[in-house]
Amino acid sequence: MEIQVMEDILGRNDQLASENQMLFAKRGVFVLNLMGSPGSGKTSLLEKTMAALKDNLRMAVIEGDLFTSKDADRIAKYDVPVIQINTSGGCHLDAAMVQKVLQELDLENLDLLVVENVGNLVCPAEFNVGEDVKAVVLSITEGDDKPLKYPLIFKESAIAVLNKVDLLPYTNFDMAAAKKDITSIHPAISVLEVSCTSSTGVEAWYDWLKEKVAAKKMAVNAHG
Amino acid sequence: MCTDCGCSAQGSNTQIKFFVKGYQTDNVDTVERTLLGLPGVYHVHIHAHDGETTIDYSPAKTRLSEITGVFTKHGLEAVI
Repeated sequence: MEIQVMEDILGRNDQLASENQMLFAKRGVFVLNLMGSPGSGKTSLLEKTMAALKDNLRMAVIEGDLFTSKDADRIAKYDVPVIQINTSGGCHLDAAMVQKVLQELDLENLDLLVVENVGNLVCPAEFNVGEDVKAVVLSITEGDDKPLKYPLIFKESAIAVLNKVDLLPYTNFDMAAAKKDITSIHPAISVLEVSCTSSTGVEAWYDWLKEKVAAKKMAVNAHG
Repeated sequence: MCTDCGCSAQGSNTQIKFFVKGYQTDNVDTVERTLLGLPGVYHVHIHAHDGETTIDYSPAKTRLSEITGVFTKHGLEAVI
């Protein structure tokens, strides 16, 4: 029986993630690893983002999904390059999967690459794919107890998008408690209240993203 | 963390359980949240009445001395 050594798996992943990161840095591409539960609204947020920013930012998307291309099909409608990775049941994307598809992207002509991870609040947070930052989308319908129950994903993310706030009146979600828990877990995290349906708060998300992309370009230009 | 699917090494987080002297009703929440804000701390549970404190953390990301430092800073004594 073969015994897998988990530390080695993560060590190997970190090495490949670092290779990906160098590739992105050389071309000044800002990479976002978008995570969250199934149904939290990751793809909806991406759709809004494509519609609003695709004329100003050169974007591409890598879609992680267990078996289907349903999310990639939604993104493709926005005329943005999209690559589907099917994990065949695997619960997260890793650096090797991302590295394998990078040759299909024109990195020289990209500002922003979004990697939409497999819907899962646990495992994706543990595997770097070469991103600049991770972001977590939490639907308020999931409950305000989730940050303390799934701390790693909030610990690892630079921003938490609390989605579906248009449904707040119909839930017992305690926004103040959720925010307090999230910022306790990760004091430096940004937290946004968003509704992809009503477009509440999406401008703040666009601004955050544009700022990150600009900062990456500036850093790359500064280092030649 | 994900020990169910076995896809990571986070299951190797360390859980420590010990007693802390001096908890007051007004400092328990602050101590709990300050500990939770440390980089490798994922779970903190405090029984204020007897001082029993449980912490799940990654020793690779946070040193034990950083954890005990939080108690000292709040005038508490951790018996580890």
